[in-house]
Formats: sequence, structure tokens, C-alpha cells
Amino acid sequence: MITALVNDVFIPITAGGGIRSMEDAEILFNSGADKILLNSALYENPDLVKQLVQKYGSQSIVASIDYKLTDGKRAVFINDGSRKIDTDLEEYILNIEQLHIGEIYLNSIDKDGTGFGYDFEEIQRIAKKISKPLIMAGGAGNENHLIEGLKIPGVSAVATANLFNFIGDGLPNARKKILESGENIARWDH
Amino acid sequence: MKIVIVDYKMGNLKSIASALIHLGATNVIVSDNYELLSSADKLILPGVGAFGKAMAEIKEKKLDLILKELVLEKHKPILGICLGMQLLGLSSDEGGLNEGLGFVKGTVTSFDSTKMKVPHVGFNQVKTKQELKLYKNIPDNADFYFTHSYKMQSSENINQCECDYNGNFIASFEVNNIAGVQFHPELSQHNGLKLLNNFMTEF
Repeated sequence: MITALVNDVFIPITAGGGIRSMEDAEILFNSGADKILLNSALYENPDLVKQLVQKYGSQSIVASIDYKLTDGKRAVFINDGSRKIDTDLEEYILNIEQLHIGEIYLNSIDKDGTGFGYDFEEIQRIAKKISKPLIMAGGAGNENHLIEGLKIPGVSAVATANLFNFIGDGLPNARKKILESGENIARWDH
Repeated sequence: MKIVIVDYKMGNLKSIASALIHLGATNVIVSDNYELLSSADKLILPGVGAFGKAMAEIKEKKLDLILKELVLEKHKPILGICLGMQLLGLSSDEGGLNEGLGFVKGTVTSFDSTKMKVPHVGFNQVKTKQELKLYKNIPDNADFYFTHSYKMQSSENINQCECDYNGNFIASFEVNNIAGVQFHPELSQHNGLKLLNNFMTEF
């Protein structure tokens, strides 16, 4: 799958899901992945994360963090959202940064798939405290969500699967409107 | 056209090879073998990872001597990409001061992580100059994909084009047969493919 993509897609490809060993990562990199996405391993096996950073470099490792409102607090979940971690979200992120990962992909489980907009309240609070490039995810349903997200200081990028997968040419249209709004995203359609 | 990607066991070489093949290169080889490197029409020095470790690998395989002969004496065109570009410079302070291949007068230092997010990652605009061979038919201020924590600077004229990330750094240079790009053309959509094509046809 990844190899087929790499043969005619000339943008960076990040692959993830179930990476639990050096061998798992090696298979993805050898298939042509430019980066890998780690989630549960960040908590369950920080030594593996350190080894991966050492071998492939910080820029190859994206830390994916899922959180959801639980008893009024934003709690981190791993194992596809099935296991709750007892560390506060902000503290968890600061700990993860110590592993020298290259980017953080922060996803609100509550907002994910809704199309109602990102968790702006929390991201606005937390983004500036994060020293690594931050990609916000979960909830984008239209280009205004993307534009509003990109305006938050400390947010490096916004992610969407909804606009990409479910709405015809939702993504190219959104890109066009973001450019018109004056946000600085790549122009690559010359 | 025979393009040899210099193999020193670091970096994702598959996407570079795919891009070259997509552009019509029929003979793309990944190798550290002297005969093969000598027979290449063009060389590509790729690289992802740490500068010091890369130079150690290069010296271990005597690639420093081979490249000096092929590039400086025989004027074979070479394109350094990302870490490969930095290795063409004089030195880097990544993990202590390490000497590079020294083909161009550029020095590499780290971004200041107290002032900005490091690594510098994503698409960013390069102050491209269409009169340069690398940027033929590429629009001004074209976007390319970067991912790096160290940057090259130079006080000499090496036909550099700069990019701004809380200050200017060298996004590319070209001096006769020697070119380097800090960004990843193989991951930069149409602009990147055009640049690789320019390297194949203009150098």
C-alpha cells in the first residue's frame, strides 16, 4: 500500500497504527514512509520511541495524542481510545516532548468525525506552551474551521480527514479559500 | 541517463528514486560502488539523520575521496538533498563540530529552539531566482517541503536562494556542477519535480 503510494505521490507520507517494535517501524520506512505516527507506544514504551528517534531522527517521528473530556477534564487515551491515562493532557504533552519527537498530532476524540469544528478552547490554551510543531485534529467540517485553526498562535498545521474523504472536492476548495483568506499555506498548483 | 544515488545507509531513498523514474530517468541506481559512481551521469547525495554519523559513514566507505575525485576533479554534477546538502558544506555544529566535505563555503548551525518551533517542518516559500539552473520555469517564491533542525549560512556568493524561518537561511545553492537543496524536492509536489527535472537537464 505505502509502496504503491510512494511511486506517484510526491508529498511526505506518514504511516502509523500498531507500531510496537523497531521491526514494525523498519517495515514502514522500507516501504517508503517518510515519517511514522506513534500513539500508544509513547506511553507504553518510551525507550522504543527514543531508539526510533536515534535511528531515524526527530523529524521522522510524529507523536499522536488522543484526548477526550472525562469528568470535566481533558484526559489522554491510548489503545484506540480504549485506555485512559491518569496524566493531565498538558503534562502528558510536555513529557512526550522530552522524547525529542519531531511533531505533535493532537486529536480531540469528542470532536473527531463531527465536522462541528476543532476543540478551539483547549487548543488556544495549550498551543503556545508546546515547543514542537503542532498539528490540530478532530472536528473540521469546513474551510472556516481550518482558517480559524491556522490563526491560533502556536498551531503549525490543521488536519482534516472529513473534508478529504467525504466531501467531493472539499479539500481543494478549502485550500483555495484558505489562500484567499491570506493564510500562508503552500501553493503547489502552478 | 544514469543517475546514482550515493548510498551511505541513511535516509529514505525510495521517494527520490520514484520521483526520478516518474520524470523519465531510466537508470536509477543506489550504490556506494566506485565503478558505478564513476559511470553515473549525475550523482545525488541524499540524507536524513545526524551530520556526524553521516560523515563517519562516508569516510568509512571512502566516499569522501571518491566524491572529491568525481565532483571536484571530474566535474560530475551532484545534487545534495537536505542533510546531503549540508554535508557538501564546510562544517556543522550538530553534536559537536564536525567537518563536512567542504565543496562549498557554507557552515551549518542549529536553529534556536528557544525562539521558534524546531524542527522547521512543512511547506515554506523560497526566494527563488529563475535565472538559476535549478529554478528554470519555477515561479518566484515557490513552496517546497522542509524538515530540518539545522540550517546553512554563508558569507560567500554560492548562488544561494534563501528561505525565512525567523531569519534567513540557505534553501539552495548552485556552484557550477555542485548544487544543494535544504528542502526535499521529492516531497514538494510539482515544484519539486520541476527542480529535479532541471537538475537532470540543466546540469
